[in-house]
Amino acid sequence: MTNREQSWESLMRAANRGDQRAYASLLGAIAPVVRGIVRARGAALGFEQCEDIVQDVLLTIHLKRQTWREDQPLRPWLYAVTRHKVIDAFRARGNRVDLPVEDFAEVLPAPTADDPLEARDMERVIGQLDPRAAAIVRAIGIDGDSVAQTGDRLGMTEGAVRVALHRAFKRLAQLRERMIE
Amino acid sequence: MNTDELIAALSADGAPRITPEGRMWRALPGASLLALGALLLFWHTRPDLAQALGSFAVYKTAVPLVLAALALGLARGIGHPEARLRVGTGLLGLVLAGLALALGWTLATQSAGQMIADLSTPDLVNCLISVPALSVPVLAAGFWAMRSGAPANPAAAGAVLGLLAAGIAAAIYSLHCPHDPVIYFFTGYGIAIGAVTLAGAALGARFLRW
Repeated sequence: MTNREQSWESLMRAANRGDQRAYASLLGAIAPVVRGIVRARGAALGFEQCEDIVQDVLLTIHLKRQTWREDQPLRPWLYAVTRHKVIDAFRARGNRVDLPVEDFAEVLPAPTADDPLEARDMERVIGQLDPRAAAIVRAIGIDGDSVAQTGDRLGMTEGAVRVALHRAFKRLAQLRERMIE
Repeated sequence: MNTDELIAALSADGAPRITPEGRMWRALPGASLLALGALLLFWHTRPDLAQALGSFAVYKTAVPLVLAALALGLARGIGHPEARLRVGTGLLGLVLAGLALALGWTLATQSAGQMIADLSTPDLVNCLISVPALSVPVLAAGFWAMRSGAPANPAAAGAVLGLLAAGIAAAIYSLHCPHDPVIYFFTGYGIAIGAVTLAGAALGARFLRW
C-alpha cells in the first residue's frame, strides 16, 4: 500500500501521531494544488514569486496544522489557510486578488517543472536566522540529513535539534511576515 | 531552498501542537480566578451580596455571564480558519437585540429625572475603570491561546475575546457594585463591555495576524 492511495485526512492524522513520511507525502501532494491556485491568480507575478508564495503557504500550513480538527475533512481547512495566505501575499505585493470562498473544486494542480523551483525569499530569511538554526534547516532540508545526523554533526542532542528546528520555522514565519509588510 | 527541500525540513519538525481551545482550557480558569481574587482583595464585595443575588439584581451578574458564555462558544470555533459560526453569531445577535429592546423599554418608561438620579454617582466612573481593569488577565489569557489559532478574521477573533473577558470581568465586578437600576447597568457595564470588546478587536487586528 502506498501513501498515494490514502486520503489526505488519514495522512494528516498519521502525521499528527509523528509519522514523518506520511507528513512529507501529504505536503508533497498539497504543494502542486497550492501552486495551481497561486499561479492561476498571480500569473503576472512570474513563477519565482509564485513559488515564494507557495512556500509561505506551506510554512503556514505547517505552523497552524493544530487548527485542523481530526474529525473534519481536510480540504476546507486547507483551502481556508491557503486563501488567507494567498490574499495576504498578493496584497503585500500590491495586487488585489479575489478567491472564491468555496473550495479547491476547479483548481488544476501545477506540478513542479523538471528544474525544481528555487524560491529566493525563503533563502533570504533563512540567512537571517542565527547560524546554528540556519545550519539545521539547511542540513535537514537541502542535505537530507536526519535529525540524529544533524545533531551528531553539530554536537547537539536530538531533542535540542528538534526544538531548534521548530523555533526556526516560527521565526521564519515572523521574518517572512516582516519582509512582505 | 526549493519547495521539495522545504517540505523535507518541515516534515522533520514533529513538535507537539496545542489547539487554541486546549490553551484556553489551560489559561482561562486561572485568569478568571485571578480577576476574582483581585476583586475580593482590592474592591471587597457588596455588604448585601447574598440578598442581591437572590433578587432581581442578580441580572447584573447573569447578563454578563450569558454574554461571556456566548463569546466562549464563538471563541472555541473562531481559531479555525474554515469555521462558519452561524449558530453562535446568531445567538449572540439575538441576545444583543433583546438587550437593545430592554434598553429601549427602560428609556421609554423611566422618567428622565429618575435616570439622572440613578446615574449621578461617582461609582459610575469606578465601574468604567474597574471592569476593563478586571478583564485584563482574562483578555491576556485569551490572546495567548488564540495566538496558536488561525482566525480567518483576526479583528473579529479579538472582539470575541474582548467580549469574553469583559463579560467575565463585569460578572465579577457585579459582586461589588451596589447600584442596581437598569439604566445604571446599561451605562456603566454596557460602555465598559463595549470598550473592552472594541479594544479586543483593535488588538486582534494587530496581534492575531498569521
